[in-house]
Amino acid sequence: MLTADTFKRGLGKGLSVTWELTKVVVPVYVLVTFLKYTPVLNYIAHFCEPAMRLVGLPGEASIAVVLGLLANLYAAIGAIASLNLSSREITIMAMMLLISHSIPMETAVTQKAGVNGLAMTLLRFVLSVTSGILLNIIL
Amino acid sequence: MDWTSFAHDAARGSAANLLIMAAVIIPIMILLEAARDMKLLDRYSKKVAPVMKVFGMSSEAAYPLLVGIFFGIGYGAGVIIEAARSGRLALKDMVLVFSFLSVCHALIEDTALFLALGANPVVIVPGRLVLAVAITYMIGRGKFSALPGRKRMSGGTRHAD
Repeated sequence: MLTADTFKRGLGKGLSVTWELTKVVVPVYVLVTFLKYTPVLNYIAHFCEPAMRLVGLPGEASIAVVLGLLANLYAAIGAIASLNLSSREITIMAMMLLISHSIPMETAVTQKAGVNGLAMTLLRFVLSVTSGILLNIIL
Repeated sequence: MDWTSFAHDAARGSAANLLIMAAVIIPIMILLEAARDMKLLDRYSKKVAPVMKVFGMSSEAAYPLLVGIFFGIGYGAGVIIEAARSGRLALKDMVLVFSFLSVCHALIEDTALFLALGANPVVIVPGRLVLAVAITYMIGRGKFSALPGRKRMSGGTRHAD
């Protein structure tokens, strides 16, 4: 049954997701924007360029990938928003990160569910890289 | 370093991005709550139940699987654990449901956030689904000996089929 309560709960959840996003996206966005104003982003980009080229992403996108893998998707989103990426690059990045993200947390959760957490994490990471390489060819 | 333009970029950029994301995520969350209250997944899970056999899952696994795909692991885990406790889900079902969900969960919410950034949903939604189906199929058929499901499961459930 749809009631006013449905709407209220949905709104509440939407606002709470927005707040959670704000808490992570703003600091990450500010930090990455700061790095853009310093030579640091260029160093990182230069260093990661060869590996990132495989999946059709610029070197600086490695910041978003690392944040997504080690922290969570919200952190990656903050970094992606700050970097000037094309729609194609964001699509590849989204696919890769949606398959494999928040590794420390999700490995623990998977382990708790009775599935081999390490095997699943490894499988997801391999799938993520494979899909990045494939999308780089297809798109 | 130009501090004024840095402050300007950081403030404007983060505010603009958050506004777009809020504009996308708030209506999505309202729609998801509506789907929940209308018990759409309850009804739909009966329709997809026959497909579950292809993956080696029982039809009981359909509901927790759909909940995880659409609402995410957080909410899905509660439903899965509840189903397992009540004895409706075999261990093999659990392993397969989690295998599917680890590649593809919170399909709506996460996709919406990347959509707000400019990603193409026509690529990421089918892409994740196809990968999750392939993985679950292979694990269900025991093609991934590296994963645990097989060892623990090989006896009991095979006989039950």
